Order: sequence, then structure tokens, then C-alpha cells
Amino acid sequence: MENQSLVKEICPTTTQEWIKNGALLVDIREKDEVEQLAYDVPLLINIPLSEFEDRYTEIPKDKEVVMVCKSGARSLRAAGFLVNHGYKHVVNMQHGITRWVQKGFPTKGDVSTETGNDSCCASSACC
Amino acid sequence: MLQIKVLGPGCPKCKTTYNNVLEALKQTNVEANVEKVEDIEEMMKYNILTTPVLMMNDQIKVKGRIAQVSEIIELLKK
Repeated sequence: MENQSLVKEICPTTTQEWIKNGALLVDIREKDEVEQLAYDVPLLINIPLSEFEDRYTEIPKDKEVVMVCKSGARSLRAAGFLVNHGYKHVVNMQHGITRWVQKGFPTKGDVSTETGNDSCCASSACC
Repeated sequence: MLQIKVLGPGCPKCKTTYNNVLEALKQTNVEANVEKVEDIEEMMKYNILTTPVLMMNDQIKVKGRIAQVSEIIELLKK
């Protein structure tokens, strides 16, 4: 995974525990990707990366937040952006919905889109 | 000397932008130091979100899409 120290990273299994403890999932994939396949968790908001700079303040600062996307790369940049803007309780989920699906964790939509062997460049706004 | 950076995780769009920069410099004979930045920690320093990003002297000029040669030539003239 990416070599950096600014943002704490957790795996999909650990993310499940954070969700049970009330963490908010922030999915930064674009709308077309979310319409195809979405995370199915209690507390979730979708702020596409292309709108993130204008809408990041919708994310509460006092809550545990897990940033997610397709592969974990774009969500890491969004997590770094939040940390640089004063957010203290933000982590990134490594490997994204690709690994989430492989683990059999809950989703809504067509899981066949997640073959897991295509690079992040497969979707419209990949990187 | 002009500092140009192309930031992104190294996907096809990033490579195309980088090559377009080299082409624009060739066509205009402008001298510049051109750097491809794929390091995530560096990208985070600039709060990069959508990629690729084209920067000139640490100023973001184009972000989230490929910068075209003609567009880069215009930016070089400024």
C-alpha cells in the first residue's frame, strides 16, 4: 500500500468494528460507481472526490470517520486533505470496496463489477 | 528556472499529461525543470484530490483531468 505517515490506515475487517462502534463511512467514489455498487452500512455519506473540496465540511469533526473508495488510493488523498484541514478522527480503509467484497461484507448492487483484478483505472474517474 | 510538476499515482492520464508538458516545452523552446510526483505524502502536502494535477512554480494550474498541449503552451506564455 502507499508509503505515508500522515493518515492512519485500517483494513476492511477492522472497519467493521469501527462501524459497530458508530463510525461514519465516507465514500468518495463518483456517483456512477456508487450506483453500480455501494457499501451497505448504517452510517454512510457519499461525497464524490470531484466535489470533495466544496463539500468536505459536511463531514462532522467530532465523529470517528473512515474514508473509503474502490481501492483505497483516492480515499487516502481525501483523508490526507481532511487531516490537513483540522480533522483529528479520520482514518483510511485500505484496499477499498474490492477487498470489502472479497471478504463478503455487506454491499448493495452488482458485486460482479468488482472482479478485483482490474486496476483503479477501470472506472470513469479512477485516480 | 520554471518548475513544473505533474502529480498523480502514475496512471495513463498522468503519463499523458507529463508527455504533453514535454511536447509543449519542445514547441515553445521554454526551459523548465519538469518533475513527475507519484509520492502520496508529497501529493498530500498540496492537498491533491482529483488527479492528474499540473503545477507551475507550486501553483495548481490544471487538476482532475489531462492538460492538453495547446493549453500548456498558453500557460507557458503567461
